[in-house]
Amino acid sequence: MGKVVGIDLGTTNSLVAYVRDSVPVVIRDAAGDALLPSVVSVDAAGTVFVGREAQRRLLTDPSRTVYSVKRFMGRGIDDVRDETHLPFRVGGEAGGVVRIGVGDKEFAPPEISAFVLRELKRRAEEHFRDQGEFDFEVDRAVITVPAYFNDAQRTATRDAGRLAGLEVLRIINEPTAASLAYGLDQKNRGTIAVYDLGGGTFDISILKVEDGVFQVLSTNGDTHLGGDDIDRLLTELVIAELGTAGHGLPAETVQAIRKAAIQAKIDLSSAEEADILVDRAPALPDGFTRRVTRAEFETLIRPLVDRTLVPVRQALDDAGLEPRDVDEVVLVGGSTRVPLVRRLVEELFGRTPHSDLNPDEVVAVGAAVQADILISGRREMLLLDVTPLSLGIETIGGVTSKIILRNSTIPASGREMYSTSVDGQTAVDIHVVQGERELVADCRSLARFRLRGIPPMPAGLPRIEVRFQIDANGILSVSAKELRTDVEQTIDVKPSYGLTDAEVEKMLIDSFEHAEADFDARLLIEARNEAESVLHATEKSLRRPDFAQLAGAEIPPSEIAAIETALAALKTAIGDTDRELIHGRTHELNDVTRHLAEVMMNKSLREALAGKSIDDV
Amino acid sequence: MTPEPLTVRSITPPECRNCSTSVPVDEHFCPQCSRIQSLNRQGDYFAFLGLPRRLEVDLQDLDRRFRDLSRKFHPDFYYNATPAERLASLERSSYLNDAYRALKQPVSRIEHLLSIEGLPLGPGDQGHAKVPPGLLEEVFALNEELDEIRDARQSGAEPSALASRLASARQPIEAKRDEHERALAETSARWDSEASAGAPERRATLERLRQLLLERNYITNLLATIEREAAHG
Repeated sequence: MGKVVGIDLGTTNSLVAYVRDSVPVVIRDAAGDALLPSVVSVDAAGTVFVGREAQRRLLTDPSRTVYSVKRFMGRGIDDVRDETHLPFRVGGEAGGVVRIGVGDKEFAPPEISAFVLRELKRRAEEHFRDQGEFDFEVDRAVITVPAYFNDAQRTATRDAGRLAGLEVLRIINEPTAASLAYGLDQKNRGTIAVYDLGGGTFDISILKVEDGVFQVLSTNGDTHLGGDDIDRLLTELVIAELGTAGHGLPAETVQAIRKAAIQAKIDLSSAEEADILVDRAPALPDGFTRRVTRAEFETLIRPLVDRTLVPVRQALDDAGLEPRDVDEVVLVGGSTRVPLVRRLVEELFGRTPHSDLNPDEVVAVGAAVQADILISGRREMLLLDVTPLSLGIETIGGVTSKIILRNSTIPASGREMYSTSVDGQTAVDIHVVQGERELVADCRSLARFRLRGIPPMPAGLPRIEVRFQIDANGILSVSAKELRTDVEQTIDVKPSYGLTDAEVEKMLIDSFEHAEADFDARLLIEARNEAESVLHATEKSLRRPDFAQLAGAEIPPSEIAAIETALAALKTAIGDTDRELIHGRTHELNDVTRHLAEVMMNKSLREALAGKSIDDV
Repeated sequence: MTPEPLTVRSITPPECRNCSTSVPVDEHFCPQCSRIQSLNRQGDYFAFLGLPRRLEVDLQDLDRRFRDLSRKFHPDFYYNATPAERLASLERSSYLNDAYRALKQPVSRIEHLLSIEGLPLGPGDQGHAKVPPGLLEEVFALNEELDEIRDARQSGAEPSALASRLASARQPIEAKRDEHERALAETSARWDSEASAGAPERRATLERLRQLLLERNYITNLLATIEREAAHG
């Protein structure tokens, strides 16, 4: 048997972790980075790039580069009309699965996610090999999904795992995974609210923790709300201010603006103002700079953050609780670093939220813990999750009849009796939907089933018991039996927004045709990643609002000039294919910034100690 | 679909699939080899959780039983088990979740008791059907008032005046509801005290509970109707 890992398959970034001797370990790449950008790029020759390299290719080859694919998982083309400024093609038949066009190839969203998963699998295997493990193959995983993912989105995630060569032991919900990670440290009990705002999705889960049992009382969310939307608002702000020049901008330029917007968003989490600093790009020869204050930023994103509070109130209501009944509030997901988010959550619950664990890593850690529970059979901790949406079937007049109510603990089952309406009828069609609305048309179509093999009888005489089972992954299966004859029925499933087993099989075969970047290319990518992290750290220091003041006292102008030169040299080199050149210039920049780094470090230390009395130190 | 009772199939005493020992029907695990047993009989949530058929339930005790049994049944702990055991774990976990949900709330607890005592509420008993005799007077008055309010709205009456009329129309119904809550609680307590009473008395108590539940469902729907009417204004 190979190794087992926990994977957080995120909209923006993905991570892999595992448990070694009861201690969770997040696996990092050669540059020490745990986050793998969930970006996939396929060049003209058919070579697939994943992660940082694919992210760089967003600026040079955007039409062949896919990001935020999680937003398309298990979705139909009608669901994704509001996605704008995407550099890649999104298509597919009406009423069917979304297809993503890259060059002359088309992919289903699970295929794109599978590239990300395969890269994480490779990263983990490399880690185990470096640890001197003889059996380093990773063949099983627990993968997390947003709690508010419906059946089709969960199934698509499981398909992605299968396509990546992983047996998916379990699909678990991100907020619950996070609570499991928190539960490791504190043997606490009580009521916990997990507020999880990620790159593309928002979840709220209310849990009761007692005796190591993590029981979810209710969950709610929005699978189309996250940091991506904040980025889009800032990007659109810049495009609008470019006036007529902003219309029909090349995709490369839109991506350059988006990259600058993301950086400004991050800067605004710690600074009172920041610049959206767009580098020179096609149709933008001089670049573009726009200063944004924290106040302007908050006015811009306030409606988005307010939207998260609606599901929070609903989840509290469903759990029969008031905000003050919650003992702990936990923040998860990179977007909870935004100060406005923290402030509004704190106001709503009337208490300071927890964020002791790294909000980017906590979900992967929880997935690893769950994986460990599954393979070890240890019973100290147990997650009892719920199904986020009611499950129903279509009845006469297009009305939904609910069979399993939302917030039912899973596994959950329900049954419904069916009969025939015509003499000798041997088949019955069943339409299964998910959602809270009265009318089928307002709910999410999950699948159409055909029950076959009903023994011929007069109309109304057969008594067919259809059993709906939601398993611990939150995924539905259906079985049926005619009770008079005890005959099991065959069920043909046609998923509304998913892939059939046959399609997944075919993709499995096709996937062997994709070339992965070879060894040399990988070394080049690693060199670029390292160069990028040094570049990034340097630019961050230089852009600090108080830099001039700091430098005036401690760093002579000649030193700053040397840094600027080395920085520019490395920026040119990073696009080159000469690995040694990139290495060399990375080291040069590293050397000339050593003193700068020390100055910055001392400054942070002073800040950290400021305001504390000498007794606290 | 024709409503007709389920055909009762004879249940042979269940046997453990692993060691063929005969296992008492309410046991979750084989007394011989301690393997998890497939779910043979369904229907009695009280027995499944090891509780007597009483309507007063200590919720902390119920929670504890739920957690303990979850720890015993949950599919997490059967990953390397045989397919039969995995299925049994899935079935018992699902059933436990249903049982816990039903017994947690007083009303669904009474509904469950009625169904296992042979007096189930059917799909037609959710309060949409005919007016229970005990409510005729209130329903008549309410319908008259609602008609008048609708007429008044059509002829452009002041929304605030309508709102206060709706609020006063609500009062007698709410009073009825509170009266019913009390009656349900009293009758539930009577059921618990009659554990050793004769069959006719117990039957009468159940009939009374059933009647109260039907009226309660009807009242809930009336309140929802007033709610909808208020939303119009």
